[in-house]
Amino acid sequence: MKTLTIVAGVMLVFVFVWERVDVVRLGYQIERLKTQKVLLERERDQLQVKFSALTAPERIAKVATEKLGLVPPQQGQVLMVHQPGEVPSLSLPSVEQVRLARHVSTGRVGE
Amino acid sequence: MTTGPSRSRRYVMLLLLLCGFSIILFRLATLQVLQAAELTAKADRQHQKIVSFEGARGTVSDRHGKVLAMNVEVPSVFGVPTSLESPSTVARHLSPVLHIRSRELERKLRQDKSFVWLARKVEPEQGRRLEQLSLDGIGVVMEGRRFYPKGPLLAHVLGFSGMDGQGLEGLERRYDSHLHGEKRVTVLQRDALGRTVFPKGLAEQVPTPGQALTLTVDEVVQYIAEKELEEAVTHAHAKSGTIIVMEPQSGAILAMAVSPRFDPNVVAALTPDRWRNRALTDTYEPGSTMKVVVAAAALEEKVMTPGSMVFGENGHMVIANTTIHDHEKLGWITFSEVIQKSSNIGAAKTGMALGEQRLYRYLQGFGFGQRTEIDLPGEVSGLLKAPKDWGRRSLASISMGQEVGVTPLQMVSAVATLANGGVMMKPYVVSEVRDQKGRLLKEVLPQVKRRVVSPDTARAMTTILEGVVTNGTGAKAAIPGFRVAGKTGTAQKIDPRTGAYSSTLFVGSFVGYVPAESPRLAMIVVIDEPQGEAWGGTVAAPVFRRVGEQVLNYLGVSREDTVKIALATKDY
Repeated sequence: MKTLTIVAGVMLVFVFVWERVDVVRLGYQIERLKTQKVLLERERDQLQVKFSALTAPERIAKVATEKLGLVPPQQGQVLMVHQPGEVPSLSLPSVEQVRLARHVSTGRVGE
Repeated sequence: MTTGPSRSRRYVMLLLLLCGFSIILFRLATLQVLQAAELTAKADRQHQKIVSFEGARGTVSDRHGKVLAMNVEVPSVFGVPTSLESPSTVARHLSPVLHIRSRELERKLRQDKSFVWLARKVEPEQGRRLEQLSLDGIGVVMEGRRFYPKGPLLAHVLGFSGMDGQGLEGLERRYDSHLHGEKRVTVLQRDALGRTVFPKGLAEQVPTPGQALTLTVDEVVQYIAEKELEEAVTHAHAKSGTIIVMEPQSGAILAMAVSPRFDPNVVAALTPDRWRNRALTDTYEPGSTMKVVVAAAALEEKVMTPGSMVFGENGHMVIANTTIHDHEKLGWITFSEVIQKSSNIGAAKTGMALGEQRLYRYLQGFGFGQRTEIDLPGEVSGLLKAPKDWGRRSLASISMGQEVGVTPLQMVSAVATLANGGVMMKPYVVSEVRDQKGRLLKEVLPQVKRRVVSPDTARAMTTILEGVVTNGTGAKAAIPGFRVAGKTGTAQKIDPRTGAYSSTLFVGSFVGYVPAESPRLAMIVVIDEPQGEAWGGTVAAPVFRRVGEQVLNYLGVSREDTVKIALATKDY
């Protein structure tokens, strides 16, 4: 019984020490992963800036006209063709309907 | 029993031990009690690292989520002069990397300070090269730098932020409280090698980033407006120009272009004159575009009908000992023709028929002399004197757009009111505010300001303004396949040297909406001081046509002829 108690005590000490060591180890691991996350986020942001710059309408228009030799559509070259029965999706409701709807919503405006 | 000498030895030993313990106790008390605070702080400095974090500034996107402004972490370089042995050598190494003169760097490094900034927010590549150099006493920290990836696009609206991330101009300033990230100080534990062991309160480490703004602006519409405005201003050798495109039913701004442009990424060398948002900070005498407001008031008050006959006085009329001229000799014309032919005499007579009080009431109703309350900084209220301050000619002058100062935003809002059936909407540029996780914090909905005129008056004005484009001075604003309603304006500027109206300095403008029967866009084009031909119908109306045609195509708005194609397809 006495031996068992000593063994249990020693094991408890080992468990305690192991736990403390593991906490420190996990602390390092967390720190490493956090650093990695920060670096990846930084890279993501830099890529986002690059993407936004590359997709700027001014640049696209320049590439289209100067590199690809495209020209803007001239008068009458753009025609909207709707399927029979299709209502143009971008048409707005009548002015009266919009106005009534907005009367209801004005109370929610903040800025 | 102990003898005398051995007892005395024991006393000596005891005394020595007591002295020893007393010294230890005294030392302990000194360390643990008297110097406790100081030593704890010293230990903390060795074991803890106090780091100040600032959340990234919020992103600004257009209505389709295209990023217009965002933060990216970039290196900032600092020096610790007190730890440098040879500042001149270090400066020589740094100079080619930072592109700063060696002498200037050396001057900073010779200061009696423990910390100096050498270069802030440099390019990532420069940071990497510095790390490779690994110079003692030189360090690199990451700081958030504001990037405007589209360059000058929408710069006058976006504004810019300062070196320390504070909003200085435009939306960056107006919404600074939303955009700036949270500042938080965190304590990190360090081991003997200086590595961070385990942060206290892990979750508290990351400060909340700023909120993200979504704008009503469409970057493609904005690009079209800026491109056409730049071309027009360059072609006319004008001083500046402005275009505003607005949704009349909501007041949402689709584009706000100002020329000359500037790049908000590089503002250090620019003056405020360059980044001022002239669309709402600058007033001008609107000239004939003001006749739209006078005509709407006259119709609403039933002072005139579209068919009322007005005598054009053959081009000359004397009021208060001054002569008003028309650009062509007109006899009897209809009220509609007064607007379509832009008759000053007809407008003056209309104003006089309305009278001072009624005209003033409608000018106020259409928003002149007061801010539109758009969510951008720097807006001015323009100039509208009260009738008690009017002179004998004021009624006639104001009716033809003189003696009154307006901003382009006020004028487009007034005309958008007619496009919206007589109801004025509050213009706005920010539609949504979201947190860093994309959760909606605030949605800005269209806001009605007031009804100014009846739907009947608005419809009648639309017919008259369509006539301006089909038969009048605004012919060059016509967009094939669409019905355009609008009005030209050519205003003389006051010569700052003489204080009188100049014969060479003009503001040419066109304001209108399209399609007239169901308006999608209200737009104003203002060209300031064009050289050569300065008529609004010549310098501004063609710009309206070019922008309108491209934007309507982009938005997929059907032309009148589309219906025929659809019907033909059906028959087939």
